[in-house]
Amino acid sequence: MSTLLIALLAVPALTAMVLWVLPVSFADRVAAVVGSVISGLVLVGSVWLWIDYLRPADGPGTLVGFETAPRTLPGKLYPFAETDLEWIPPLDVRFHIAVDSISIPLIMLTALLVFLCCLYSLRITPRIGRTRSLIALLLVIETGVIGTFSAVDLVLFFLFFEVVLIPMWLVIDIWGDEHDAAGRRRAATTFVLMTVLGSAVMLLGFLLIHRQAGTFDLEVLGNNPVAGGRGVPLAAAILVALGLAVKMPLWPLHIWLPDAHAKAPTVGSVLLAGLLLKLGSYGLIRILLPVLPEATTTIAPYLGGFSTVAIIAGSLACFAQTDVKRLIAYSSVGHMGFIGLGIATMSPEGLSGALFANIAHGLITGLLFFLAGAIKDRHDTSDLRTIGRALNARLPRISGLLVFASLASLGLPGLAGFWGEMLALLGAYRPADSLPRTTFLVFMVIAGLGTVLTAAYFLRLIRNLCQGDPAEYPTTAFAVDLSRIELLTWTPLVALTVVLGLAPWLLLDYWNFV
Amino acid sequence: MTITWTDWQAIAVPLVLALGAVAALLVDGFWGAGSRQLKHLCVTLVTAGAILFGFAFLVTQRNSVRPGFCRAAVEAPAECSIVFEPLTVGLWAVLLIGGLGVVGLSTYGLLDREIPVGEYHFLLLSALTGATVLAGARDLATIVIALEVVSLPSFAMVALRRDRRGSEAALKAFLVSVLSTAVMLFGISYLYGVTGSLYLQTIATQLPGIDPDLRRVAFAAGLFVIVGFGFKIAAVPFHGWLPDTYAGAPVEVTAFLAVVSKSAGVAGLLVLVTFGVAPSGSELRTVVAILAAVTMTVGNLAALRQGEAVRLLAWSSIGQVGFLLAPLAVGDAQAVVGYLAAYVVVTLGAFGAVAVVQRHRPAGLLTDYRGMIRSEPGLAAALIFFLVVLAGLPPGLAGLFTKFAAFQSVIDADLLWLAVIMAVNVMIGLAVYLRWIAELFRLPAEAPFSVDIETPAVTVISAYTAAAIVVSVLPSTLFTLIT
Repeated sequence: MSTLLIALLAVPALTAMVLWVLPVSFADRVAAVVGSVISGLVLVGSVWLWIDYLRPADGPGTLVGFETAPRTLPGKLYPFAETDLEWIPPLDVRFHIAVDSISIPLIMLTALLVFLCCLYSLRITPRIGRTRSLIALLLVIETGVIGTFSAVDLVLFFLFFEVVLIPMWLVIDIWGDEHDAAGRRRAATTFVLMTVLGSAVMLLGFLLIHRQAGTFDLEVLGNNPVAGGRGVPLAAAILVALGLAVKMPLWPLHIWLPDAHAKAPTVGSVLLAGLLLKLGSYGLIRILLPVLPEATTTIAPYLGGFSTVAIIAGSLACFAQTDVKRLIAYSSVGHMGFIGLGIATMSPEGLSGALFANIAHGLITGLLFFLAGAIKDRHDTSDLRTIGRALNARLPRISGLLVFASLASLGLPGLAGFWGEMLALLGAYRPADSLPRTTFLVFMVIAGLGTVLTAAYFLRLIRNLCQGDPAEYPTTAFAVDLSRIELLTWTPLVALTVVLGLAPWLLLDYWNFV
Repeated sequence: MTITWTDWQAIAVPLVLALGAVAALLVDGFWGAGSRQLKHLCVTLVTAGAILFGFAFLVTQRNSVRPGFCRAAVEAPAECSIVFEPLTVGLWAVLLIGGLGVVGLSTYGLLDREIPVGEYHFLLLSALTGATVLAGARDLATIVIALEVVSLPSFAMVALRRDRRGSEAALKAFLVSVLSTAVMLFGISYLYGVTGSLYLQTIATQLPGIDPDLRRVAFAAGLFVIVGFGFKIAAVPFHGWLPDTYAGAPVEVTAFLAVVSKSAGVAGLLVLVTFGVAPSGSELRTVVAILAAVTMTVGNLAALRQGEAVRLLAWSSIGQVGFLLAPLAVGDAQAVVGYLAAYVVVTLGAFGAVAVVQRHRPAGLLTDYRGMIRSEPGLAAALIFFLVVLAGLPPGLAGLFTKFAAFQSVIDADLLWLAVIMAVNVMIGLAVYLRWIAELFRLPAEAPFSVDIETPAVTVISAYTAAAIVVSVLPSTLFTLIT
């Protein structure tokens, strides 16, 4: 039993319940404060969990590098802070949670982003109000995401995976774009239906695994992977990969994503891009690779191929976007493509690249969506043509941050976005021995082109939005540049982007898959 | 046929239910001019007492096996007409929960004042008697008779409110039922001709070794019997009567049809499929699987287009039956009973909530529910929870895990195609319920529904919510109904 991990799961959900029980008028006023305090505590707890994990069990409290478990199988779980309880014996389902060096950084990212979203909501909320429910739903989403990252039982994974669906649907449906009621409802419904279909398909894969291996337990499955690259294991791998690819999303299953991101409120977009997409890539790393290694080898070239297409298609789509939120959404498709490619290489470099890009994308795209939301709030539209140019002159600080985030996102060395994509490409250069190297070399070249495209559309965005003659686009009288709450919310993201860019070993050291 | 021996405890529960039915009628008949409320209470207590006896019996006898109306067979275990065993325990538990739930929905102040209370409870208990017998029946004659004992009171209940819609609804259900009985009897006669027995156990042993020439006849006969049940449980394409009948009946009766009557049909089909006409490997199981796929798809798709709450529940109940048929097609009784139990609890709750709203807004449109999360937070939260369980998503874990069990049994039986169709239907089903949930959440509403909800309604809906929460936190209780 690990009380800390259970508390990380239970506290946000319980707080949400409490908020819903409180009277509306009172709760609306205190919701953001309560949410900030609670999610702040969760953040502290998750950092503590990480420190606890790094501290050797026997020695005094000094931090050392990761030496305890040499990994042979990428993604295999080495449980820490484990809780394993019987839950539904007739279905062979256990309440089994644990974390390791792959999941704790993601849990910290989750806690950080939810905390920042609550903080942001202290001052800036969607016009429709109902802050109480918004904060409560954000906290439920936090429970769901942390639960997914810490589930050891496949069914539990599926369960937490589904927990986030209805809250996210509500967030988009209720607090989404107020100018387009029909559009935001359609976006929300498309999101929830496609994801639920994906998770149902994933469940079919889990059940096939269970039929083959007789257990849902990832720890057991990690030690005795399902052998065979044909027949039932292959079917299971395809179903699991399909289900997770919807969530991730991988081209061509990404069609729910641009609308959902564009119509969601700022905090919704941040969590959607920063966290929910990671559930898909985390699932691929945690379940597909260690449980079905041989079947994954069979499908890895296809996974890599679709990822490469996603990189190119996502980048090209960005050129055609006139809506800043949609543009960032499509850029996510490209970035998740890099993560998919890294996973598909099944190599140590590719895997750690994918994991690093997960974290980096969460930070950078979170920041980008915060900025897009800020720009949208100030202009009451996210249409680039209506916003006009010369943001540099009108909102210099926000514009500067946008340039920073764009550079980080396009993979400027020295910032966090660089390492993940570089390692993914390196992985494609040297994929696992069982994979066809030529194919992956082609992928590498195409993905390399993708980085150029990424740079191109971000520079185009900067040129079209930030630069230009200030005389043509006069400052709006009431538009405030960077407010205090925005500064407070975004500083951690900026700082971490720089820190991880300069010191990637802070995370990479713990992902040795040799 | 000579009956040699019987264990009377095997039929103790149906017997007490039948006695309760007569008692309810007598109390009503001899009441005289006393307080209407007190009369209602007494009748309710009689009915509830009979049902609670059933629960007590199940709790004390849950591990025992008691055959009834048996006769010794040559070189085989005795052939029995009714058997009380773990499967029966599970099915009876579901049926009795359903019956008690309907009684709760029909307490004084909730039941339509036009409906005569004595007759209503008499019919309810009679149908429940038939349902319990059906779940324990092990020969075809008993099955047919029991099914009629369930069906006939149902039509009378539909028509209890004497208006045009009610009579039309009852007539429709009646005609379909007569037709289905005829079809079923036709099939049974052939089954008897082929195997020489009405006992399921003997039929099951005879069928595999049957003369190849007769195999097709046996298949057709089994098909007819299944089609007969298909009408009763409104499996597509035998579902035409259901939406109109549900919409025409009083809400309490609709709840009864959706819960007790439907569970009885499923129970009968389960007994039939697992013990008799469709042993594992039989092509008839494939037929049931196809029936499941078509039923869930059509039911859910049609539910997507409904604008009235009761009609939406009616069509979605067709979709739910499709999901029930999936584990039934592979003979997984545990998954069927678990699914049925979760379905019964939340359907009762949903109809309870609908009844509250319909009493004040008779149109029963989905838009009547707009903004209820603010104006009636308790009722709205309960209704949302029921709908989420029906959709099978968190926090409705009871629904999620019963759907999961259905998936598991289908996958373990190598029916991947059916599992994929089920996965698609999880999506369509979610879309159905989300439309309703969205209305509840939508703010601001022009004239949100807000009334003083009757105390009994608050009590029963709270009870259903509590039950749904318990089975959501501890889903294993659903699957241990069959020990």
